[in-house]
Amino acid sequence: MTATASQAYLNARVSIMSARLFTPAVIASLAQQSLNELATSFGLAALLDEQLPSRAKSRAVEQAFIRTLLSELTILVRPMAAKERALVLSWGRKYALFNLKSFIRSKLYDLDQSEVGEDLYELPPNVQLPQQALFGAEDVLELLRQLEQGPYSLIARQAREVYEQKREPFALEATIDQRYYMELAHRAVQFDGESLRALQDLVGAILDQINLMWLLRFRFSYQLSPSETFYRLLPSFRLLNRDRLLTLVNLNNAEQVMEALPPPLDTLVAGSTTLIEIQRRMGHHMAGQALRILHVSRCGVARALAYLVLREIDFSTLFALIQGRLLNLPRDLVEIAVELTGKAALSPAWPPRPEPLRDAGLDRRC
Amino acid sequence: MLKPVPMRHVRLLALTEDLPRASLALAQAESFHADTRPPEEQRLDHLPGRTYREQFQQARSRLDKIGKLIPLPAGAEIPEARVIQEPELARANAWLGKIWGEGSHYEEQFRRLDDEERLIKEQQAALGNFANLNIDLGMLRGPTRFLSVEAGIVPRENVRQLEGAAGLARHLLLTYLVRGEQAHVVVAGLKGGADGELAAVLRAAGFQRLPIPPELTSEPDELREELARRRSEITVERTALQARLSEWASTVRSQLQDAQALLLLAEPLVTLDPSIRSAGDLAYLAGWVPARSVEGLQRQLGEALAGPFALESRVPRREERPLVPSVTARSRLLRPFATLIKQYGIPQYGEIDPTPLFAITFLLMFGMMFGDIGHGGVIALAAFLAHRRLPRLYLFGILAGISSMGFGILFGSVFGSEQLLPALWMSPLHDPILMLEVALGWGIGFIVLACLLGIYNRVATRDFVGALFAHHGAVNLLFYLALLAGGYQLARGDGFGVIPSLVVTLSLLGLAVFEWQHLSAPVGERLLIVSIQTLETVIVYLSNTLSFLRVSAFSLNHVALSLAVLTLAEGVGAAWGHWITLAVGNLFIVVLEGGIVIIQVMRLEYYEGFSRYFSGDGHEFKPLRLRQSLRDAGQSYLG
Repeated sequence: MTATASQAYLNARVSIMSARLFTPAVIASLAQQSLNELATSFGLAALLDEQLPSRAKSRAVEQAFIRTLLSELTILVRPMAAKERALVLSWGRKYALFNLKSFIRSKLYDLDQSEVGEDLYELPPNVQLPQQALFGAEDVLELLRQLEQGPYSLIARQAREVYEQKREPFALEATIDQRYYMELAHRAVQFDGESLRALQDLVGAILDQINLMWLLRFRFSYQLSPSETFYRLLPSFRLLNRDRLLTLVNLNNAEQVMEALPPPLDTLVAGSTTLIEIQRRMGHHMAGQALRILHVSRCGVARALAYLVLREIDFSTLFALIQGRLLNLPRDLVEIAVELTGKAALSPAWPPRPEPLRDAGLDRRC
Repeated sequence: MLKPVPMRHVRLLALTEDLPRASLALAQAESFHADTRPPEEQRLDHLPGRTYREQFQQARSRLDKIGKLIPLPAGAEIPEARVIQEPELARANAWLGKIWGEGSHYEEQFRRLDDEERLIKEQQAALGNFANLNIDLGMLRGPTRFLSVEAGIVPRENVRQLEGAAGLARHLLLTYLVRGEQAHVVVAGLKGGADGELAAVLRAAGFQRLPIPPELTSEPDELREELARRRSEITVERTALQARLSEWASTVRSQLQDAQALLLLAEPLVTLDPSIRSAGDLAYLAGWVPARSVEGLQRQLGEALAGPFALESRVPRREERPLVPSVTARSRLLRPFATLIKQYGIPQYGEIDPTPLFAITFLLMFGMMFGDIGHGGVIALAAFLAHRRLPRLYLFGILAGISSMGFGILFGSVFGSEQLLPALWMSPLHDPILMLEVALGWGIGFIVLACLLGIYNRVATRDFVGALFAHHGAVNLLFYLALLAGGYQLARGDGFGVIPSLVVTLSLLGLAVFEWQHLSAPVGERLLIVSIQTLETVIVYLSNTLSFLRVSAFSLNHVALSLAVLTLAEGVGAAWGHWITLAVGNLFIVVLEGGIVIIQVMRLEYYEGFSRYFSGDGHEFKPLRLRQSLRDAGQSYLG
């Protein structure tokens, strides 16, 4: 297939697939459905199994969503050239990194193999970790050394070096997260022309969200110094670039940071009183950017990545709904959780309300 | 020979404590393919082999890691098959853990020496570059009264971010050398409150200090010598460490081999683990066994198990057919052809095994397209000489060569020359039209046979509607035969004929109606799809038949190429030139044309044959086996 033909094919694929994305009206209608109706609509047989405990049901649903998301990713990368495929796969590797963190936890806290197995996601071969080898590792360092051959080599090497110097789980996990986004950013700038612009917008929006959350958390919750906070951030190509971050980390409190943010982030987060509220608003902003690229851009790989980002948000929304039903939470609480996942608030029908559901960064839920 | 090996579903109920014995007996019988479906009885829901499996996997992983340090000899036989109970496996695993602990200590020392050597190399590289720094080198050795100065290396990709972070800690970062993945930097700033802040950042960035010895400014040559001496010392230390490792290895090698054999014996139970369920003392195991082997399996289990057991067997149910494994060709002659068929797929249980038919038709087509005694002889000889390197495929080469030689006798061709041997039949170039007619006849026979096999396969799986109306079913075959009859009459100048026209029209109509009923789309879309598919049926059968003309085309091509080589050789004046041209030309024909002919025959087999009668979505029968030699084990344990 020629480059033009594969672009046309990829764009057509993304356009067809994007019909699967939830509109605000669909989300509103899903929010009214019972657990059985949701299970039937999305083929989630595990939800109807009376024998399974809630945790197992929740886990099965999560696994089903990840499987669907990554199988769509596999379909989308098929016609892509090597550079494009590398970018999209590097985005999908976050799920393998969740597994890696489970492995690390198992070695740190000497957990049983079966306990770890329950926490692992089943992943397609293109993003999978060498699980058997990792199971066989005796400690964290050996585990990371096992990963130093293959696509996770950069992440694993840096994580090992950090862990060798500072035997802190926090530093290890923070390094893994940072290297993940660094690789994504690095792969995005390998393109040129319109592709570069679209990818800078999309990946930049992801990095802006991550940077603001990490900045506020590291600087004011964990009380890290400005220099260490800055070192752990990832300059974006969009709003929160290097110079801006250098200024922001030097400020003394979260309010000053929010006031000093560049437009439109300053108005976007103005009046937020909690990290969760900021995360929600940034999430909506990022989803809006992804939606814009999906509809406006002509670059196949950027549209494919935007689609996957939005699809992931949809699954988060659906997962929040199902979790709410499983835990018998009041309907208004579930609606708040749905808003937190991102896209629902793109519609005026879903006014934003602050309530924590999930953490920022490499969250374990999809 | 074409019929599949009949299989039976077996269900073994035995005492849980007898599971290691049962697995060993099943592995020795080499006729049991596990069925991983859970049992129908709800109470059999416990997975009894979990601990055994975990112990095995950990032990295997440890042995694998030790194997990278201490290469173990392969090829020794396992002394005697015996049952490995869980306590023995656990002891072996614990021992391997201890040995790996010792082994990893050696590994760590090797790594430390490597790191130290790398650091010295960086120091050596840095030495020449310090001169380029526009500062007093004496200050790089450590902090002064007012300044804190650090020189060291940092991963290159961290430099930019570190530069900004150092600036925030009121320090300057200067990169003076980049080597591979590492950057040499100097970080300097006012001594004071931000030192601790900077230290945290440097740690996070993977900064490694490069000590600046006092001799740097005064006696750089001595320093160079000192670094070279230290590298030599490291080489000596490494040799000594290797010697200590070898000595240690010699004390544990035989025990490691015992552990390896023990793991081989324990492996069958681990392989079966996903299929085993239990309730209390009762364990359940199910699988597929060739019908002829059920009795032998019952006898072997009776001899091996200490407690009572029950082995029930039954014919596979209709709905289980996709799950039943198919026994592929075991004949030594057919095995290389089975390997080629596996590239397409495995026959579903009940379907005809295509291997014998594939082998015969492949050899016939290859021989006809590449018929030459000399070239065939070269192929057969080359394949025979490569039998050690290509143990699975060399027979394929020998048979292809023999077939080529057989057709070479018919065509009277030896290395392209038709003067050396009288043709038993004729040279292809003497009557190309006849050759084309033969190829066409062969193709028609091939397609008809493929359709008949497809119909048989569907009938065998009780898909009667499919046998009648599906692609390449009976109605399709009827259409094809009528098309051929009409075509033949047309070629004779008698017109297409009323009966063939009627049969062609009715059969196409029947196929279209069948297709229409199975479509769920708006009328317009259905009309479009059905029209295109009907047109496709006509085109496919016509093009598939004509596709076989390549069989004769390549036989003509072979003669033409050989003639070209002979003409070129005759055109070269010198005797040595003549022979070199002949040798190179014939080599070209064998390698290039031979390769192309193989691809063309495979294409005919896959597209005109397999697509008509072979679904390829079955499962291969893979019986549980006890690997008998450490050579086999070496492939998985020692990579």
